[in-house]
Amino acid sequence: MKGLFGLSLTLVALMITIPAAGMVFAETDEPGEYLDRRVLIWNLFFRMMTVAFTVGAVVSGTIIWQIWRFRESHPKAKPTPYEGTDW
Amino acid sequence: MAGHSNWPEWIYIGIVVALMTWVGAEAWEVERLIEHVPADAEIIKVTGQQWFWTFEHEDGTKEIGELHVEAGKAYKFEVTATDVIHSFNIHDYVVLIDAIPGRVNTVWFAPDEPGVHDIQCREYCGLIHYNMRGTLYVEEP
Repeated sequence: MKGLFGLSLTLVALMITIPAAGMVFAETDEPGEYLDRRVLIWNLFFRMMTVAFTVGAVVSGTIIWQIWRFRESHPKAKPTPYEGTDW
Repeated sequence: MAGHSNWPEWIYIGIVVALMTWVGAEAWEVERLIEHVPADAEIIKVTGQQWFWTFEHEDGTKEIGELHVEAGKAYKFEVTATDVIHSFNIHDYVVLIDAIPGRVNTVWFAPDEPGVHDIQCREYCGLIHYNMRGTLYVEEP
């Protein structure tokens, strides 16, 4: 089960990264086309900001949840062997 | 530790690696696209010095503090400096490249419609850096 999950995750990662890497390495020496650098650069910026804020929300949400869930006074708190079992 | 499961860590590592790869590839691709100069781009030599910009067109015409270009054409700036490090910036067209003495940096853009835009120095270069400005005039072809 664990191996299957890891394998499928790896496959998904490869499905995303291989086409992206392919596009990058497909560069030629031919002259470039006219393009609007404003659009490309600002779009990249907004995409990266979306990723940054999403990752930031998930990471800080996880930390806040951990602090809430694993506090000593949580009703379901269980002592670990490090803390001693005499609770 | 016996009975300890670490699959959440592997999932975490997988997600981080996938995200970093995607972010890197996206940025790399955009960089590749915007560095790809069109063959017919007209070269404009840009020189920064305390505290003004000089522009030299392909036909030898020189301009100081202002730059006239045509809409719908591509221009490649060859940017350098004579004294200290400056930075050539046309904010409205997201053009930004350092002007370094003894070195020629290039950046290109293709203005799409007539208008007037600010040119400025974006690297602190001394007392009057704040007023090292120019004007870009994009004219009808």
